[in-house]
Amino acid sequence: MKPSIYENSRDVFLDTVNAKDYIQLERISMIYQALKDSIEKPLKMVLLYGKPGTGKSMFLSKLHENISSAQKAYLYKTPILDESEFFKTLAQDLYEIRYDGELNFTQFIKVVENRELIEAIVPVIMLDEAQLYSTSMMEKIRLLSDTRKVKFVIALHKTQKEDIIAKEHFQTRIWESIKLENASSSELKIYIKKKLMKVNCLDTASMFTQKSINLIHKLTDGNYIDTNKLVYTLFDIYHYYAQNNPNKIKGNYISKKIIEMAALHTGLINA
Amino acid sequence: MLNVHELENRHKKYKLKSYTPYLIILLSITIALVSISFFTLNYFNSISKSKNEAAEQKEVYTKNLETKSTVEEKSENISVPIEEKKRIEVQKKQEKILLSPSLDFIKSMESQTQMYKKENENFKTTEITEKKMQEAAKKVKEPVKKIQERKEEIVLPKIEEVKESITVAKETSTIDIKRRDEETDIKHVIKRFNVNHSPALSLFIAKKYYQLENYEQAYNYALATNELNNDIEASWIIFSKSLVKLGKKEMAIETLKKYIKHSSSSQAKQLLDEILSGKFK
Ligand SMILES: Nc1ncnc2c1ncn2[C@@H]1O[C@H](COP(=O)(O)OP(=O)(O)OP(=O)(O)O)[C@@H](O)[C@H]1O
Ligand SMILES: [Mg+2]
Repeated sequence: MKPSIYENSRDVFLDTVNAKDYIQLERISMIYQALKDSIEKPLKMVLLYGKPGTGKSMFLSKLHENISSAQKAYLYKTPILDESEFFKTLAQDLYEIRYDGELNFTQFIKVVENRELIEAIVPVIMLDEAQLYSTSMMEKIRLLSDTRKVKFVIALHKTQKEDIIAKEHFQTRIWESIKLENASSSELKIYIKKKLMKVNCLDTASMFTQKSINLIHKLTDGNYIDTNKLVYTLFDIYHYYAQNNPNKIKGNYISKKIIEMAALHTGLINA
Repeated sequence: MLNVHELENRHKKYKLKSYTPYLIILLSITIALVSISFFTLNYFNSISKSKNEAAEQKEVYTKNLETKSTVEEKSENISVPIEEKKRIEVQKKQEKILLSPSLDFIKSMESQTQMYKKENENFKTTEITEKKMQEAAKKVKEPVKKIQERKEEIVLPKIEEVKESITVAKETSTIDIKRRDEETDIKHVIKRFNVNHSPALSLFIAKKYYQLENYEQAYNYALATNELNNDIEASWIIFSKSLVKLGKKEMAIETLKKYIKHSSSSQAKQLLDEILSGKFK
C-alpha cells in the first residue's frame, strides 16, 4: 500500500467536531430521533448529558445542521459567560435586533414576551458546554423557556458536583433528558470502519479485525475522543513504517504491537 | 513528531514487564521439575546400579558354579582358592559402587546450603541499604514465602528462585525511581491520571494548575476529582476558588453553601466568608 493511504486514514481521526463527519450509529440514531421529536413537541428544555468524549458536541452539530433548514436554530458551541453579551447575542439571532449598550435580563425578557411567533414554530437555541453557565444564568434561561417563545437544548457533561446544581434546576423543569454513553465494541467497529470508508480508505478499513477492535475497546472503553487519539497515532506509526521500514507492516491486519505502541504514546497504557 | 524508535523501546519494556510474572512462575516450575527429576534420577540410578551389581554377582556365582562343577569333576583341592578369590573381588566391587554416589550426594547438599546462606545474606543487606527496594521486596515476599515452604522439601530450587526474585526486585525499584523523578512534570501526571483515574492525581493537577494561574484547567481537574470522589474538601475549595478567579463568584458561593450544608467543613465556611466579604478575589 502507498504511504499516503496511512496519512489519509490518520487524518480522519483528527479530533474535530463537524456535522459532515457525523457517523450514523444505530443507538445514536435512535437517540437522535428522540431528540428531534422532543424539539418538535411543545416543551421547555431538553437536556443532553454524558461523560466527556461521548459525542455530545457532535450530536448537537448534526442536530443543528438538520433542523436549521426547517426552522430557526442556533448553536452556541462555547458558552457566552457575560450575561449582557449573552442576551445581546440572543436578541441579534432571534429578532435581528442590535443593542449597543448593556442589555439586562428584565429588558430582554420583555422583548421576548412581546414577540409573536412566526408560523408558530419555536426557534431553538442549543448551548454546548452548558456546565460552565452559572446557576443564576441557568435560572434565567429557564425563565426564558417558560415564555414558550424560545426553546433551549442544553448539552453538558454532568459530574457529581454539578449534579447537585443540575438536579434542583432540571429535574422538574426539563421535559426530556437524554444520556449519551461510550460506544460498545460493535459500535466502535462500525464507527472506525465507516469513518475510513467515508474517505475511501477501504484497504485500511478492512485491516480492522474483531480482535483488534476488541483490544482498542478494552484500551479506550469505547470513548470516542480516546479512540480518535489512539487510531490517529496508530496510523501515524503505520505511515512512518511505510516510509522508513515497510517490512514491519507486511501483515493484512492491524498489528497488536502497533496498537499497543499507540496506546503507550497516548498514555492509555503506562509503562 | 512521533519518535517511533523510542516507542519501540518502550513497547519492548512494556512487554517484558507484562511477561515477568509468567516468566517467574515458569522458571520456578521448571527449576522445581528439574530438581525433582534430578533427585529421582539419582535414586533410580543407585537402584539400577545395585541391580547391575546383583546381576554381576549372579554371573559370578554361576561362573563359580560352573567352575565348581568342572573343578569338582577334576579335583576338589584347586576349586576352593578360586572361589574365594572371586568372592573377595565381588565384595570389593560392591563396596565401591555402593559408597560413591551417597558421598557425592552429601557433598552437593553441603555446597548448596552454603550457597543459599550467601545468597540469603546478600538479600538481607540489599534490603537494609536500599530503602526503595523494600517496597519492591515486599511484593516479592509472597513468592519467597511460597518458595520457603518448598525449601523444606527440596533444597536446590529455592536457591535459584531467591536469586531470581532479587534481580526482579532490583528491576522494579529502578523503574520506581525513574517515575518519581518524572512526577514533577505535570503533563506526566496528567497522562497517569488518564490511565488510573485516581482522585489524588487529579487533585494534584488541579492544585498545580491553580498555582500556575490556569484557573480553567484547575476548575476542570477539580471537577474530575469530584466525579471520582465527592468528599474531598480540598477539591471543593480549589473548585470554588477557581470559579471566583474565572469571574463566577455567585456560582462559587452557591457551590460552597451546598457543600457546607452537607459537610459542615470549616475551611469551606472560612472561604465563603472571605468571598462574601470580598477578601478573596
Ligand atoms: N456519531 C459520531 N460520528 C462521528 N464522529 C463522532 C461521533 N460521535 C463522536 N464523534 C467524535 O468523537 C469526538 C468526541 O466527540 P465530542 O467532542 O462530540 O464529545 P463531547 O461529549 O462533546 O465531549 P466533551 O464533553 O469533552 O465536550 C469528536 O472528535 C467527534 O468527531
Ligand atoms: Mg463537547
